[in-house]
Amino acid sequence: MSSVEFKGVSKAFGRTVAVEQTDLVVQQGEFFSMLGPSGCGKSTTLRMLAGFLTPTTGRILVNGRDITDLPPEARGIGIVFQNYAIFPHMNVYDNIAFGLVERRQDKATIRRKVEAALEQVGLTGYGERFERELSGGQKQRVALARVLVIEPEILLLDEPLSALDKKMREEMKFWIKDIQKSIGITTVYVTHDQSEALTMSDRIAVMNEGRMLQVGTPVDIYEKPASRFIAEFIGDSNLLDVTVVKSNGTRCDVDLGDGLIVPAHVSDTVRLTPGSSAGLLIRPEMLRLAPALKGEGPRLTGKVVDRVYQGALRRYHVAAGRHELVVEVPNRPELSPLSPGAEVQLFWSEESGVAVP
Amino acid sequence: MSSAPQIEARRPIGVNAKHLRWLLVVPLTIFFVVFFVVPVGLIFATSFNPQTIGQVSVTWDLTLENYVRFFSRSNYLMAAGRSVLLATLVSLITLVIAYPMAFVIAKTENAARNTVLLILVLAAMQLDMVIRIYGMMVILGDNGLINQMLAALGITDPDQPVQFMYNFLGVILGLVQFSLPFMILTLVGVIRGINPSLEEAARSLGATPRRTFLRVTLPASLPGILSGSLLVFALSISSYIVPALMGGFRVGVLPIHIFQQVAEGARFQFGATIAVILFLISAGAVTVYLRVGARHSGGLA
Repeated sequence: MSSVEFKGVSKAFGRTVAVEQTDLVVQQGEFFSMLGPSGCGKSTTLRMLAGFLTPTTGRILVNGRDITDLPPEARGIGIVFQNYAIFPHMNVYDNIAFGLVERRQDKATIRRKVEAALEQVGLTGYGERFERELSGGQKQRVALARVLVIEPEILLLDEPLSALDKKMREEMKFWIKDIQKSIGITTVYVTHDQSEALTMSDRIAVMNEGRMLQVGTPVDIYEKPASRFIAEFIGDSNLLDVTVVKSNGTRCDVDLGDGLIVPAHVSDTVRLTPGSSAGLLIRPEMLRLAPALKGEGPRLTGKVVDRVYQGALRRYHVAAGRHELVVEVPNRPELSPLSPGAEVQLFWSEESGVAVP
Repeated sequence: MSSAPQIEARRPIGVNAKHLRWLLVVPLTIFFVVFFVVPVGLIFATSFNPQTIGQVSVTWDLTLENYVRFFSRSNYLMAAGRSVLLATLVSLITLVIAYPMAFVIAKTENAARNTVLLILVLAAMQLDMVIRIYGMMVILGDNGLINQMLAALGITDPDQPVQFMYNFLGVILGLVQFSLPFMILTLVGVIRGINPSLEEAARSLGATPRRTFLRVTLPASLPGILSGSLLVFALSISSYIVPALMGGFRVGVLPIHIFQQVAEGARFQFGATIAVILFLISAGAVTVYLRVGARHSGGLA
């Protein structure tokens, strides 16, 4: 069942197009992320859904109801902001009660719901505090409690973790995901952080320059990216310049130069034409290094240029003909380190090579 | 490494900068002491000297007789009450007129339009108060534009014009006109500083634009409302020129009494006493405001 539906939605500010015509369906209970660099249109899309911006074209539906012309207060959509937007002149209790007071609920009901919300976010006993007496993580919890207490149909999260330090961010990532899962609320999450999106999402839309370039599961997005931009934006990547030799649905053969032809996979949303130039994506952790020829599958011969020790792993820079690749090797005793200048073979399995236009 | 010597080389500059920072406040301190602390101190001291007509210098002969005189004469007590009432009314009226304007300016995102609006507000401050008051007389006087219009329309009798000037109303009108830019500028700064996502959060939690204004924007601008009206209160209660010209010396507020004691009667000691009482009233108002502010804005003011 669809929960949020965008039908040909676009947004222009004067002559600047912030979001190009977009069609999108978010399923009931889904954790859906919009991921992209700043200025990609993800926040504009979210603000249209929240009702702070009116689309230039198209309709927005929530649970089948057209909300395009409704003001924010009539949409039943909760939003948590990057800066949390805790009302500074109200204590935590009144902040959380805000939406219930607007819904004219009686005092006893409000008290019961606010106390339950405080307990849900682990802030029992914090009702009397003011914003300035709260840590970043606590503000985050208050902001979420204030939204959840009104039982919104959709939960919007606008970069809610970017103001927190790294440790707190890791903690809140799982906490938010847990709460979302336990309530089963449809959630639209906006972030520029690929690790947040990969960890938390059921599906991700990668956006750039006002367009949704690819919509798919974290595995799809990471392992079968539909373009060079996505391949490079998500995770570390080796992108080798290749020429498409043969294309057959989700499989193709690409020429690495010097007549070295290897098979590769292609995202099912992409069509590659033989003869066109493309990129071959191989993730650094998907490559294996060996001093001599061994095993089957695609390979390249090269020379170690540089080695960087990173604790849990070693990163090698390997020059192979006109290509330069980064290889991550787990730091294990049986994988003895290779020195710069060493001749090596680079192996990867057929599935981990992905051709992108 | 190469970065360590650089840090060493920077340290002496840091020490100099620290000394220099203290030097920067010296001009203000000197100015403040010579032209504020000393004169005000002298006025305090003078108010405790016995009343001697024509004597300006301060002596060690201390007495409370000036204060006894002030508090035992009903016309001085009424003048104090009138001053407080006047300053309070001017603060309230100015706030009510200024807030909508400040709100519009603060919410105008177009830079050019914003500049034009601010220039309009500041334009009112470009002329000297005396000139502005004479301008107001042309409009408000017995034969002024408003009275001529009322008479022409047959609403009033030309021989009995409406008294807009030389009374309490005139002083209020003059002071409101004088205070508006101060109030607007204070409010614009505070309203502009309100995080827009506070208002958006209120909307998405179910508050209509009107409810959002009442429950979020207005309380969040309370620090500006307090400091703006405090500024206007202080400007109004201490104003001499507006009550003198717009009130025609018929509205006996404290500054008028001070002027009369000092300039007309050469009674410096009693004039100083009234000045000290005026100062204490202002200081008391500041204290009350800060208390109220601390309570209603969760200590933000």
